[in-house]
Amino acid sequence: MLEIRQLAFAYGGDQAPVMQFDLDVTAGEVLSLIGPSGSGKSTLLGLVAGFLAPSSGQILLDGVAIENLPVASRPVSIVFQQHNLFPHLDLYTNVALGVDPSLRLTREQAGAVKAALERLGLDQLQQRKPGELSGGQRQRVALARVLVRKRKILLLDEAFAALGPALRVELIGLVKTLVHENNMVAMLVSHQPRDALIASPRTAFICDGRVATLQATVELLEQSQLPDVRNYLGTM
Amino acid sequence: MLGLIILAPLAGLLNLSTLPGYEPGDLRFWHSGYIRRVLFFSLWQAFLSTICSVLPAILVARAFALQPDFPMRGLLLRLFALPLVVPAVVAVIGVVSVYGSGGWIPLGKSLYGLNGILLAHVFFNLPLAVRLLLPQWQAIPGHHWQLGDQLGMSAWQRWRFLEWPALREALPGIMLLVFMLCLTSFAVVLTLGGGPKSTTLEVAIYQSLRFDFDPARAVVLALLQLGLCMLVAIVTLKLQRLPEVEITLTSGSRPTRTIQKPLNIALILVAAVYVGLPLLSMLIDAFKGQLLGVISNIYLWQSIGNTLFIGLAAALLSVSAGWLLLQYSASLARAGQTGKAKLIDLAGSIVYVVPPLVIGTGMFVLLSPHVDVFAWVYPVVITINALMGLPFVIRCLGPAMRQNQARYHYLCQSLQLQGWNRLRYLEWPLLRRPLGLAAALVTALAMGDLGVIALFGTPDTATLSLVIYQQLGAYLIPQATVTALVLLLLCLGMFWLLERGIGGKVDA
Repeated sequence: MLEIRQLAFAYGGDQAPVMQFDLDVTAGEVLSLIGPSGSGKSTLLGLVAGFLAPSSGQILLDGVAIENLPVASRPVSIVFQQHNLFPHLDLYTNVALGVDPSLRLTREQAGAVKAALERLGLDQLQQRKPGELSGGQRQRVALARVLVRKRKILLLDEAFAALGPALRVELIGLVKTLVHENNMVAMLVSHQPRDALIASPRTAFICDGRVATLQATVELLEQSQLPDVRNYLGTM
Repeated sequence: MLGLIILAPLAGLLNLSTLPGYEPGDLRFWHSGYIRRVLFFSLWQAFLSTICSVLPAILVARAFALQPDFPMRGLLLRLFALPLVVPAVVAVIGVVSVYGSGGWIPLGKSLYGLNGILLAHVFFNLPLAVRLLLPQWQAIPGHHWQLGDQLGMSAWQRWRFLEWPALREALPGIMLLVFMLCLTSFAVVLTLGGGPKSTTLEVAIYQSLRFDFDPARAVVLALLQLGLCMLVAIVTLKLQRLPEVEITLTSGSRPTRTIQKPLNIALILVAAVYVGLPLLSMLIDAFKGQLLGVISNIYLWQSIGNTLFIGLAAALLSVSAGWLLLQYSASLARAGQTGKAKLIDLAGSIVYVVPPLVIGTGMFVLLSPHVDVFAWVYPVVITINALMGLPFVIRCLGPAMRQNQARYHYLCQSLQLQGWNRLRYLEWPLLRRPLGLAAALVTALAMGDLGVIALFGTPDTATLSLVIYQQLGAYLIPQATVTALVLLLLCLGMFWLLERGIGGKVDA
């Protein structure tokens, strides 16, 4: 279980916090984060990943604090909207980097890379460069790397925003399966309420640097009376 | 017209049989040990200069990229843009001031020859290479750095997977550009070369025409130089396009990420001292030298007048020609003749591969049988300098002009915005900044030129660069230092005036 407790962030470090987050994500769950631009969704992911330093608060994974761990030591994998892959490396190498950046892989590790590519339907393409792939295939490669990294927390920062609706549904389905199979916790940032509906039983609405509400996705999207939510959804 | 100006001198070069001293079938030039020596030294010094400039530049650019919060970073990047407008003879004076006997780091007589040439070439090309390399780091997506961190990459692994792949795309082009600049470097080799052992093709051409009066040998050397330059250009085109030179005096940087390392800071400081020291030393020497004596000399003021006239006239000619070329190329592109349009754009950059001294030699050979070339100094020098500035004009104006055409041409047509009104309401407000920059660059370039003016100049028409060269030749180092300071201030002042005067304020 991932617990985020009064996790505060201040620009410039020494000023008063402008954002503060509290939420929980249970094992096997994909929690969606929706909200207006600049509300703090990506900042929250940056804090969990360690790209940003919190001014106070805690991030607990199964009861263990991880907010002071360096980026590389955190049990986190992240998938961005783009630039997840190194364009000059083939798919196999891009995924293998997730196991060991020195690329000195044991036979078992190399097998795991191949298995992950196979699991994502990319085994025939492993010698190709990212530029030769479609947007959906590129995100699949990023997910294959998530698989080999075997980290408990998966962060998806508008990972599927550039894809068409059918492909988004397919890849979100894939993420749900991977998270469930590997007992991970995942947070999905999206600008599409429909993504939240497909991906998550629960969704957090982030507004002005805070979790304004965290509730069942269907309720949030269809019945919420919060003005900010209605304003965001255009149902006001 | 442009073609005629370039091709006529080249045709003149090929007409060897009309030249004094030439006999049909005479191949003594090719068998001469002198030419072989000159050829070897030209290539050797260009090769060494490239290595000595670009390899340290990789380290310095990396240090700049990884230290986005380094105090004075913007200021130092501006300092690194200075060699773009510092005339070569001024840099030479700076180098002599630091490394000459009596300088801060005296090298004695060994300054003259390969050592001095390398020191001056690195002064020019290290900052240029840094400014060309830095965007390669800045082009690495921020997400890649974050992924590198998350995957636990070490510094070596970041270099291997993130930095080197971004760098290697641009490196061959940058190295070839620097190699070409050093191969065609004239003023530095002429003043610091120190005799026959350290002569390049460019200097040998000059010596053949002005001292030995052997036009036939000059032509052979010029053809050799042309061939070499074309070879380098072909290799460059085969490998890739030349890198986009960031032609601006602003720092033009954006932060990438912070990895605090004292080594990076040390590298930046060493490079800054290397670039800044010659200018600082020259400044100090000028003030403790014969400042008043030199400034009160009427000959200096006459040279200032010549320098300004040649600089401004060349800029006017170059900017006008560039504007017309780009307008013509845009009209061809609109008519669907994109191939021809690209050809026109390319024609403006052809002087990249035809050094000014080669065009000058061609003009010299072409005109000398018919007219007194020394009576035609101004038109010839202004035309050649305008040609040399043309690639800068096209580089500065081209993108903005093409964007204007693409965005507003149909709107202008529908509003019937034409002629003067179009110029006043659309083109001037949007193009004045690149126009100002282009005019400023060409003016500074022409004012600092030594190659063409040395070939054609007379005492009456001497520019400041030529005066400095003459003073250096007469071992009047203190006087040359003061003249260099005057030229430097004039170049920077004119650059600032034109860039601001034509281009307006940054936010305009």
